[in-house]
Amino acid sequence: MTPTPETARTPEGAEGMRSVRGDSLARRAWRSLRRDRMVMLCFAVISLYVIVALLGYSGLLPDMQERVGTKYEAPSLSFAKLFGTDIFGRSILYKILAGAQTAMTIGFIVTGISLPIGISLGALAGYYGGRVDAVVVWLYSVISSVPSILLIVGISYVLEKGITAICIALGVVSWVGLCRLIRGEVIKHRSREYVLAVRLLGAGDATIIFRHILPNVFHLAIVTASLTILSAIKSEVILTFLGVGIQDGSSWGTMITDATGELVSGIWWPLAGVSLAMFLVMYALNVAGDALRDALDPKLID
Amino acid sequence: MGAYVARRLLQMIPIILGVAALVFMLFTSVGEDPALVALGQHATPEAIADLRAEWGLDQPLWMQFLDFLRQIATFDYGRSFNTGEQLTDMFRQGALVSLSLTVFPFLLGTLTNVALGLLIAYFRGSLLDRISTAIFVGSMSISYLVYIIAFQYLLAYKAGVFPIQGYETGLAGVRYLLLPWIIILVVSAGPDIRIYRTVFLDETQADYVRTAFAKGASEASVIFRHILKNALIPILTHVVISIPFLILGAFLMERFFSIPGVGDIMITAINTGDFPILKGLTVLIAIAYAVFNLITDLLYAWVDPRVQLS
Amino acid sequence: MTTTAHTALLALCLSLAVLLGSTGCGEDEAASNDGKKIFYDARRSAHKSLDPPKQFDGASAEIVMNVFDTLVEYDYLARPYRLAPNLLESMPEKSADGRTYIFRLRKGVHFHDDPSFPGGKGRELNADDAIYSIKRFADANVNLKSWVLMAGFVEGLDAFREKTRELGKNVDYDALEVAGLRKLDDHSFEVEFTQENPLALFPFAMTSLSIVPREAVEKYGEDFANKPVGTGPFQIKQYARRGTMILEKNPNYHGRYPNEGAPGDAEAGLLEAAGKPIPFLDEIHMPLIEEPQPAMLKFRKAELDWIGIDKDNFPNMAFKAEDGSFHLKDEYARLYNHYAEPSLAAEYFAFNLQDPLFKDNKALRQAFALAIDTPAFIDLLLNGRALPLQTIVPQPIAGSEEDIGFEYYRQNRELARQKLAEAGYPNGEGLPEVVFEYRAATKDARQGFEFIRNELAEVGIRAKASFNTFSAFLKKIETGNFQIASSGWQADYPDAENFYQLVYGPNRTPGPNSSTFANPEFDALYEQTRYMENGPERFALFERMAEIMKDEVPLLLRYNGIAFGIYQKNLHNLKRHMLVDKPYKYIDKVGEPVL
Repeated sequence: MTPTPETARTPEGAEGMRSVRGDSLARRAWRSLRRDRMVMLCFAVISLYVIVALLGYSGLLPDMQERVGTKYEAPSLSFAKLFGTDIFGRSILYKILAGAQTAMTIGFIVTGISLPIGISLGALAGYYGGRVDAVVVWLYSVISSVPSILLIVGISYVLEKGITAICIALGVVSWVGLCRLIRGEVIKHRSREYVLAVRLLGAGDATIIFRHILPNVFHLAIVTASLTILSAIKSEVILTFLGVGIQDGSSWGTMITDATGELVSGIWWPLAGVSLAMFLVMYALNVAGDALRDALDPKLID
Repeated sequence: MGAYVARRLLQMIPIILGVAALVFMLFTSVGEDPALVALGQHATPEAIADLRAEWGLDQPLWMQFLDFLRQIATFDYGRSFNTGEQLTDMFRQGALVSLSLTVFPFLLGTLTNVALGLLIAYFRGSLLDRISTAIFVGSMSISYLVYIIAFQYLLAYKAGVFPIQGYETGLAGVRYLLLPWIIILVVSAGPDIRIYRTVFLDETQADYVRTAFAKGASEASVIFRHILKNALIPILTHVVISIPFLILGAFLMERFFSIPGVGDIMITAINTGDFPILKGLTVLIAIAYAVFNLITDLLYAWVDPRVQLS
Repeated sequence: MTTTAHTALLALCLSLAVLLGSTGCGEDEAASNDGKKIFYDARRSAHKSLDPPKQFDGASAEIVMNVFDTLVEYDYLARPYRLAPNLLESMPEKSADGRTYIFRLRKGVHFHDDPSFPGGKGRELNADDAIYSIKRFADANVNLKSWVLMAGFVEGLDAFREKTRELGKNVDYDALEVAGLRKLDDHSFEVEFTQENPLALFPFAMTSLSIVPREAVEKYGEDFANKPVGTGPFQIKQYARRGTMILEKNPNYHGRYPNEGAPGDAEAGLLEAAGKPIPFLDEIHMPLIEEPQPAMLKFRKAELDWIGIDKDNFPNMAFKAEDGSFHLKDEYARLYNHYAEPSLAAEYFAFNLQDPLFKDNKALRQAFALAIDTPAFIDLLLNGRALPLQTIVPQPIAGSEEDIGFEYYRQNRELARQKLAEAGYPNGEGLPEVVFEYRAATKDARQGFEFIRNELAEVGIRAKASFNTFSAFLKKIETGNFQIASSGWQADYPDAENFYQLVYGPNRTPGPNSSTFANPEFDALYEQTRYMENGPERFALFERMAEIMKDEVPLLLRYNGIAFGIYQKNLHNLKRHMLVDKPYKYIDKVGEPVL
């Protein structure tokens, strides 16, 4: 297989030591990431989308409601009509940008909801075991046995439809995987020598969890985060088809649903534009996610 | 073994109870009134009251919940609000149809995708890896709807190779299913191969691989004797756990090809607020999920004798 | 590796078993027709019930109207729409008091053969069946959906309904006499109405009031909905809610093709079958196809005979000419015939007059009406396939603007701004964002609102929309928890009264008057016109009612749609009737379609 230097392997006990100098782990990771130009390009793409989202929130994106032309103009070389216009003569490009803002918002909020829940519950369950563990395992077993699409539809019945409902619903669904991973890792680490050593030195539970164990499993969280953003963006598209998604036209899901019908009448550009926008960010997230998992996995540090 | 299975089955009870409570909260205590939809444009207050009484919606919530639990225990989920059909019959027929749509491409897809995942993991970091990632992610960024519309138009309408839509039970139905199968294979390739690639990459980094190489084992032997064998556990997990969700079918496919499966029933139920269907379906799948979880664990023990069932 | 192979093999066998093991019979399009005339027509949604009084949805009615018969029916060819006898020998005769009608049943009409009859042979229809069916229609335990349309019409029938409600299920109808329903002999009976009422006979044409045989209802109970037995032109050959429903010809059907048509029908070849026994088709195959695109592909392969063109396909295949007429493009005109027929439905926005914003603010409501360009909406979003409503009454119905010469608001942004200022919100200042409630979360609803939002923004009104599930929408209407609702009304019968009642005070929610409009003058006019015969006198009063509606704007009138459909060239006798959605019994299919 891939030639991994034999010397890379460090004794298990040494891992705890590394966590103490966690900043150097990050620095190493960064160094290894920086070497790969493709990966850096992907980070640049992701940053670009984030910037678009930020611009959107500061009101600096062009208004997607503006009528820049007539009904269904094919793409041309002016900026607003780069991807043509829609049925109302609005710029597809502006709509894609507004959609990027929505997608990024959903991605980050969902991650923001699922990460803390997943990490804290996973760590608590793994560390304390017993009754705490039983409750957490029960909770995520319940949630993971419900098909996520039905869970999300159900939540959107209770909350008003829209971006909040989607974020909460996807957040509720997506902490489960991470929680399970973290719990498993924490159980492994709990009985390791370095933890025992720190405990002998008189450290409290909180210190052990947050200062010593979590930094060792945090790479899982980062990788999961990049996957969560991905699946959040994709879920939004399906939900819109089912009529429980975002309805005000500023999301990729609505654009795709509309564009699929328009494809039948030979209007291909709205679909092409939005698919391209989705492809770029999904590719970047995939590559970046892979690179991050490699760079951050303590087992792989050379 | 028998005791283990029995204990696991007992452990399912609190989970199913939790699912029931969750589902009940989401689909019963909401503000919508299915009686209004069922009655149409000439609903009168008396008719609404009558229908609500008939459906038990005028009962206190705890009574309704107990009734729901009774339904779960007896596998009798009552009748659809919308059509009055027995849900048990609907689910039984629909599940078979959905499975006939999903199981075959799922299995074939798993085999080919595992193989391709292994291949790409082997060439990790190479140009092939980069290009294939681009292709798979590209295939993932195109909407499911587009695949369906394009394939239906090109292969069924233009080329006339497959029927446009329809369904039949028995072997004769296969010709209707071929095109949906192809689409499912194409669409699932991207995400699946990505997953299996990751699984294999994780394995290549494991200790035993290094040990094997250190002992001078050949590459082929490492791949087939060690990596593939060890990767089997995460692959099996992924596969077995996916099966209950196959019951839901590929709902977009069912809708566009008029395949009368559970997925189509679900979409209609979502559109009409047919809560008994949504509740029953969710619980049924949760039960299947729990059972398949158990099967996974039993399979672990079978694949890897080191795993202790306890 | 071997384990994977084993598992895979095992699962493969499993999946094949599933595939083969599932029972039931399927459609077989490939089978030869044996020279049978088979008509292929897609259903867009699954039916709810085939028990006539238990259904009131389009999908159910499409099948019920072909399996059962009503006492009277809409004349297939005559326009404007009017009633004709079906199970009756002739239209009911009005007696001297003006309130009592004698219904004489056609002799020799038989129910479908069914095991519920002695010897399995369909029994002859008699007056008891008609009375039984009317009583069953009025039974509070059976009919929850359409009773309102006959409430207060027949002497004693309302009291009968109350009794059935008290007694609960399985009432013995024989023990409960209805004063206004009197059997005269085996083939005739009398119905006494509460007053002289030109609308009295319309309920007898509703699919809900189809004539059913008591034996079958009692034998099958709840299952009657799946095993319908009637006197209709077709009977169920293969029952399927999803999948393909197959109807087959009733060889003993009593009906004949109409002898007379509307002007132009003879030239259109619609009278070639005049007087011939119907139906002509041997079987109707009705696959359920919910998405428009696969249905259109199937139609273009001639696997379907008839289809309505969806919005996305319309621009490819058809166009609207300058004069407002619709045509197929040449390459399609060669292949298919088409029709464009105004529907009997009105689309409108209902203002909630209990909402503090719209209550007592006529000028604000007028501003909305003046801000929106409905003809532009129709052109952009409906492929031009609609007529802007001038009154609440759709054009094909007597008493519409055709008869009273009325004109509704046209877009006038300047005036809209003035009205807005008059309403207390100059340039929209101080006006909170208003919320539109939609009854679906579809692309059409969403795009439609985008248009409206832009129109309103032009005059300074900010709007947002909530796209509800249908049940959530109805709940909001019923509880009055909305500001503006995008609503529509489908005619129950072709009379203007059916539309003016939408803003009649006493009909307020939970009745159909969802805006809760109550205007004494309007209500008095409505009551006056309700039971009047159509004519200049009634139309003059309608004009005043239309004026009040225009001035007060309880509803913002929008459009009534135009049904545009295409069918294969080998179909005969197809004339779109907006009250008879699936007139299979008249349709004939000769030779091959053009390919």
